[in-house]
Amino acid sequence: MKQGPYSRFLVQRLVFLFVGNLLLLLAIRLLLRAGGSFADVLKRCGPDVAPVILAGLGMTGIIFTGAIDLSIGSVIVVAGTVFGILVQSGFGPPVCFGASLIASWSLSMLNGLLVRSLKIPAIIITLAGLTFYRGAALILAEISIPNFGGNISIPDEAFHSPGKLYAGRILFVALAAALLWEAFAKTPRRWLALGSSEEACRLLGLAPGRILQSAFFASGIFLGLAALIFVTRVQYIEPARLALSFELQVIGAVVLGGTNIFGGEGSFAGTALGAFFLYFTSQVLTYAEVNPYFQEAVTGAIIIGVIGLDCALHRRRKLLEELA
Amino acid sequence: MTRSFGHQLQRSILFLASAIFLCSFRKIPSTGLRGLRYFCAVPVPLLKLDAVEKSFAGVQALKLIQLEIAAGEILGLIGENGAGKSTLINILSGVHAPDGGVIAWQQQSVKFNSPHDALAAGIATIHQELAFFGHLSVAENMLLGEPWPRRCWRGVNWNQLHAEAERRLAHFELSIPTRRFFNELSSAQKQEVAIARALSRQARLLILDEPTASLSESEVERLFAHLQRLRHAGVAILYVSHRLDEIVKLTDRVAVLRDGELVATYPTAEADVNRMVRDMVGRPLDQVYPHKRRGAFGSPLLELKAATRAGMFRDISFSVRGGEIVGLAGLVGAGRSELARAVYGLYSLDSGEMRLNGKPWSPRNSHQSVTSGLVYIPEERKRQGLVLDHSVGASISIGFSDLLTRWGLVPHAAETRRVERALESFAIRTTGPAQAVGTLSGGNQQKTILARWLDRYPQIIILDEPTRGVDVGAKTEIHALIDRLAGEGRAVLLISSDLPEVLGMSDRLLVMHRGSISTELRGDDMTQENVILAASGLYQEAKGTDR
Repeated sequence: MKQGPYSRFLVQRLVFLFVGNLLLLLAIRLLLRAGGSFADVLKRCGPDVAPVILAGLGMTGIIFTGAIDLSIGSVIVVAGTVFGILVQSGFGPPVCFGASLIASWSLSMLNGLLVRSLKIPAIIITLAGLTFYRGAALILAEISIPNFGGNISIPDEAFHSPGKLYAGRILFVALAAALLWEAFAKTPRRWLALGSSEEACRLLGLAPGRILQSAFFASGIFLGLAALIFVTRVQYIEPARLALSFELQVIGAVVLGGTNIFGGEGSFAGTALGAFFLYFTSQVLTYAEVNPYFQEAVTGAIIIGVIGLDCALHRRRKLLEELA
Repeated sequence: MTRSFGHQLQRSILFLASAIFLCSFRKIPSTGLRGLRYFCAVPVPLLKLDAVEKSFAGVQALKLIQLEIAAGEILGLIGENGAGKSTLINILSGVHAPDGGVIAWQQQSVKFNSPHDALAAGIATIHQELAFFGHLSVAENMLLGEPWPRRCWRGVNWNQLHAEAERRLAHFELSIPTRRFFNELSSAQKQEVAIARALSRQARLLILDEPTASLSESEVERLFAHLQRLRHAGVAILYVSHRLDEIVKLTDRVAVLRDGELVATYPTAEADVNRMVRDMVGRPLDQVYPHKRRGAFGSPLLELKAATRAGMFRDISFSVRGGEIVGLAGLVGAGRSELARAVYGLYSLDSGEMRLNGKPWSPRNSHQSVTSGLVYIPEERKRQGLVLDHSVGASISIGFSDLLTRWGLVPHAAETRRVERALESFAIRTTGPAQAVGTLSGGNQQKTILARWLDRYPQIIILDEPTRGVDVGAKTEIHALIDRLAGEGRAVLLISSDLPEVLGMSDRLLVMHRGSISTELRGDDMTQENVILAASGLYQEAKGTDR
């Protein structure tokens, strides 16, 4: 019996989500009766779904280790504020893009360092970060921008290229890199090991702190790309409202993708499929003209339904195997 | 001629002397001995502990330990639970740092700050609680601490990785599919992977803590053969076990720990089991089981008729009467615990019926069982039976606090009174009701669980491996307790893999094989051989050919 790095549970979840995504696309296709081309829907899906997938890839690595990062939405706000300030101060696009990348990467590293050195669970540290970083972004904007009125306007189209033009390509390259890396690198396996037993890692002579830090390192890179697309997509950067509850959307995609929220098991591919699934679901609801007030509740019900159905199928198959 | 012979003699003596002189500065790699000592065959200890001590939160776990292990020696380490064996192992493997004393490793004083340091120095340890990663493959589990084979573009070469793991397993005559996930292995396979991983580390000192807990006889034989081979290659082995027969069979020397002190070390050849037990407990041990078989029992309290649950057990019929201890033997995985849990209400039956006190019994949950007078004391007390951080008092009172509750509140005075009475009547050794359960020894933890339920006066008690991992002294106390329970007219169902125990304690013995009761043994038929035959499903066959 040959078995790759995915467990059967994960493979089943991946197939399940893949089929689900195809069905949702079919539904969108059928719902597109009056006007609107299917190609447009697909084209738009790049920029819309890219931030969730990119941030999700980073989050997947962190959740592998049994930690979590709740502050990613606020980190994106800081990146966006830095970006906005630099744009307003007249810097060119490359500097502004670079600065927002570095800002999110370093805050992610800071999270890792704090979790490591203070020995406080990541969920607590990053919960504090969730409010702290957003507050810090507001303070930063208030200090650096004269007459800061709550939002920073980015009128020049040159600053919107990553979010509006290249999002799909960035997503494609990053996703391919992540999947290759998952298939051929040792580091993700170390993260899974840490998530499955920290004690065992220590007894094996591995350094748990360093492994955790590497997860935050990698997450920072993906988060930087997500932030870049996120902040260059909008006309106005509004620190108080940008990327609100983004972290929950991302964690939702990760969990839907079959990654164990307590660490030790999961896949990057699942996260990408999960994010697509959530996005297509919302699209179907929009095209089906479901009352917007109902949409969020319906989305939640669908998540529960999908995970419930998948787990039930898995249990049933395990039971059948035991009987055989 | 004479002169030249004398000259030659002089020259050769000079040559020899200088050779020996030079050699004395070189280390002979395979032994770690300095050259001269190697020639003189003076054994130099590979590891030497001098006045090593350790205390946790004011409790002295190890007191001034003096211990030596030479290369090529198998040293057995024995002692009751809580005697300090684990602490000693943890110090040697770098998990804990000693509070005082000197550890000399290859004649150099060392300080291990982490397990990594100890591994790098050449000390590999197989801990009792296996440290592994469930969702990684066998190969990954074995090799995670080492560099992995890479392709030219730095990607992991999975095929080579698995081949390497396979090679190492094959070296120990194991064929376990290396692509399987670790949590899909049986417990014996898990243990074998742990052993292979540690042995393939090329260690100079190998520490094994209860490595045979889930191995079968033939697997133990194979392990011992490997250990002997390693010993001849100059590896020192520290072997820790509760099984004294293994200690006698395998080791060269025995060291006995009692209450954190090294009370004796002697060559195994000079020791017999009785002496070891005496040294371990500090008093001669009464090996006789307290239970006297009684003839007269009460009415059946628990009856099962053709009880079946798919995939777990099938067609189970038996009854337990008041005052009777019924043993339930069988191999691990024969369905004994599953059966007990079904009776307790954790699983439902697919078919068949159960009767409790003569009335039909189909529990919906464990709470209903407890309130109906049936308690189950689970197999893995640390995981299923106790919250380790809770105090002893809270662990006991959780069993009966609902009986005391008035208006939703538990009267403190009454609770304390009952807890103190339970501590006293079960002779639980604690610093007081506030001590955390996790810090008690295994025997005292088990007694705490018993004390929790027994204040409810349950009529039927199911005990699942009540003395596993419990030291000899506490074992006898638990046996006496079980006997007392039966003497009071309660029905006891005793599940145990410890054959002498289940034979010595039970009035009747049911043996399970692959989910059904293969044999019921009574009276003189209750022998170890019969139980083993029945547990492997060969009893009827063997008896058939006898007659």
